[in-house]
Amino acid sequence: MTLKSEWEIVGEPVDPDSTERHFFTEHEWNTVEAATARIMPTDQDPGAREARVIVFIDRYVSGIDYIFAAADGSGFLKLAGKHADAWRGRQYKMQDLYREGVKALDAISRNVDGKDFVDLSEEQQDQVLIALSGAPKPIKVTLGTKEPVTTFLQGSFDENLPFFATLCLHTRQGFYSDPVYGGNKGQMGWKTIGFPGPKSLKDTMDGTYDTTDYFYDGDYDWYDLIPHLKSQQAPRDQQP
Amino acid sequence: MATTKKPEPVDAVVVGLGANGGTAAKVLSEAGLKVIGFDRGPWLRANEHYSGDELKFVNRNYMWPDPSLFPRTLRYAEDEVAQPFSFSPTPQMVGGGTNHWAGWVPRPRESDFMLRSLHGDVDGMNLADWPFRYEHLEPYLTKVEWAFGVSGIAGADKYEPYRSKGYPSPPLRPTRYGKRFYDACNKMGINAFPIPHAMVTNDHNGRDPFNKTSFWNQYGDPSGARSNVLTTFIPDALATGNFEVRAESFVREVKMGKDGKATGVLYVDPDGNEVEQDAKVVILALGAIESARLMLLSRSSQFPDGLGNSSGLVGKNATFHEYLFAVGLFDNELDEPLNGFTGNYISGGSLEFYETDENRGHIGGCIISASQTCHPVNWVFPGRPTWGDALKDADRNYFNYAMKIGLILHDMPVESNRVDLDPTVKDAWGLPVARITHRPHANDIAMGKWQVDKNAEILEAAGARKTVPVYLDKMTGNTCHQHGTARMGTDPSKSVLNEWGQAHDVENLFVVDGSGFPTATGVNPTLTMMANAWRCSDYIATTYSKGRAERLAQPA
Repeated sequence: MTLKSEWEIVGEPVDPDSTERHFFTEHEWNTVEAATARIMPTDQDPGAREARVIVFIDRYVSGIDYIFAAADGSGFLKLAGKHADAWRGRQYKMQDLYREGVKALDAISRNVDGKDFVDLSEEQQDQVLIALSGAPKPIKVTLGTKEPVTTFLQGSFDENLPFFATLCLHTRQGFYSDPVYGGNKGQMGWKTIGFPGPKSLKDTMDGTYDTTDYFYDGDYDWYDLIPHLKSQQAPRDQQP
Repeated sequence: MATTKKPEPVDAVVVGLGANGGTAAKVLSEAGLKVIGFDRGPWLRANEHYSGDELKFVNRNYMWPDPSLFPRTLRYAEDEVAQPFSFSPTPQMVGGGTNHWAGWVPRPRESDFMLRSLHGDVDGMNLADWPFRYEHLEPYLTKVEWAFGVSGIAGADKYEPYRSKGYPSPPLRPTRYGKRFYDACNKMGINAFPIPHAMVTNDHNGRDPFNKTSFWNQYGDPSGARSNVLTTFIPDALATGNFEVRAESFVREVKMGKDGKATGVLYVDPDGNEVEQDAKVVILALGAIESARLMLLSRSSQFPDGLGNSSGLVGKNATFHEYLFAVGLFDNELDEPLNGFTGNYISGGSLEFYETDENRGHIGGCIISASQTCHPVNWVFPGRPTWGDALKDADRNYFNYAMKIGLILHDMPVESNRVDLDPTVKDAWGLPVARITHRPHANDIAMGKWQVDKNAEILEAAGARKTVPVYLDKMTGNTCHQHGTARMGTDPSKSVLNEWGQAHDVENLFVVDGSGFPTATGVNPTLTMMANAWRCSDYIATTYSKGRAERLAQPA
């Protein structure tokens, strides 16, 4: 068996402008793309549509060829053994979730206006997503409040989520993950929120990408930040 | 399943090559013992396999345990059927959790070793003193800080107990949110300082800490900055010529001999062969969940309820340190950006609220720290709108205008909070998985609430215009800290291990991870665990392997 440490690098970074469909039918592609465009809409800044989130999702659900990019972003890792089996099993379920999810979107849409989801107006599409999610459309964040929540696990696995939650998570991932996966075209997701990301994953491996300028940029003195130090003898082995 | 091979016996096998197994491997092989280390996960190469890929490291499971291969189950009450849940998903691989960790390595406090003496019987809690004290661990804390590499400023932590030596590396410069934290704490009279960090910022031990990417917590580090067992203690052990790594090899049972001693381990190699490896000493360091599981899986005629489990305590009194926090949002039109994506996760922290103050309505306390709000996909804003204009505005307006102050909950041991074997769910090797049964003690909930509110107060002093406190309702294991499932103690009816991590029931079985912690402590546990693993390994090398036994004089 190929050890995980020896997984081959195959393929190449996904082309965000590709119109080649690896999993979705044309109708599914158009429907999912339209839904992502309501989740991360286009305004003065680009949204999911321009960032090619649909390419990201299509490649991801197509199988196990686009699960993990190679560390340097030159291609993708070829999964082997039990890991490959586990991912294949999950991706079958994921494909089914999308296939049935598109049908569900269309079914709700036809009740709204006798049309498929892609043929509705944006306002009507929002009504469909409200129905699908079973919750009102989210309202804008307001300052001046305290809004408690309870514990959750860090990191967001996408297994066993309902279709709408999956779509929201994948839209977010496609808008903001490294462009090697096919979304976040030209880093437009990052630019929208002001994240100065690396030009390439390789730049994060060799010291090229450096965020020091975004740390506190003024002069500082540990003795001012930590007044208690002033009452201490000099630290034993190194000066702060 | 192919034929069983029988390789040459060795002096010691170490199961699990994370923080503690890596420490044991180093100490024992440097002392001249022939050691084989097993890990069920891969042996990756940091400089070749790690980079700043948020999707791969944070969202997908490149380092997290694959939930289909290594499932766990969780229930909150005895009468529930446990459901699959990735509880406490510490990476299972060579280097373990030190691959992905932020690396907070504060020292424990003297009180952590004597909670029972301090508080006595508390309703619903099962407090116990440790069978040793801070002073016994101090030399080993120093050894780990220097051999492993820790940055910090000695003397900056007003409440730290005695230390015999300073730090080998100075801290990073503060982040913008870190500076806000220091200023707010100084306004409130709180002693804030750079939390000791398992990273170096200089060339200590020949390291090259070039990584300044801020891809840190939950990512692998391709440089020599992070103190990772994979890139420090494992190479140290290999350099002795006495150590061999067997990665992607799954140890399924500890084998017992007729003489009441363990004979070695039975494992499945990467090609699916079952192999028996004999050894004079068996050392478990799989983490408190998996070490307990392996003991419970290792049934024999002598130990029908699991290896070393005559006390019935294997798996019980489990503690998990939930990470709780409050997030503060600032106004992007009025305030300076905070750049919450920057830094190496922690930037300023405090132990001001660590010791018991009964006026707060709970016993114990915990460490707090200002930390990264992280990267675009997963930046931390609980309650964020999920879709539409509201989502886009939330990301656009607050991604660079948020800060977070977290805490490591000092949860108290409760005997019924435990790890056992799930009656139905199996892993990819066909063996029963660990089932977690957990209900927080009222003290845990009260402590979390009090400290999260205090953190929100600090955020407000720092200028936050909205706060989102995250309170405890149930444990998710989100810190990956695990303790207590094979308590150390002096009484074999009330503990599983003695003061050297040696099983009361099986003299050549040692458990050197957090399993032995009688109580969780309120600091991140890895430094304490590694120091204890070093201490226990020293005992194995210099005393037990020489055919001798010693007992530590117990405090009065």
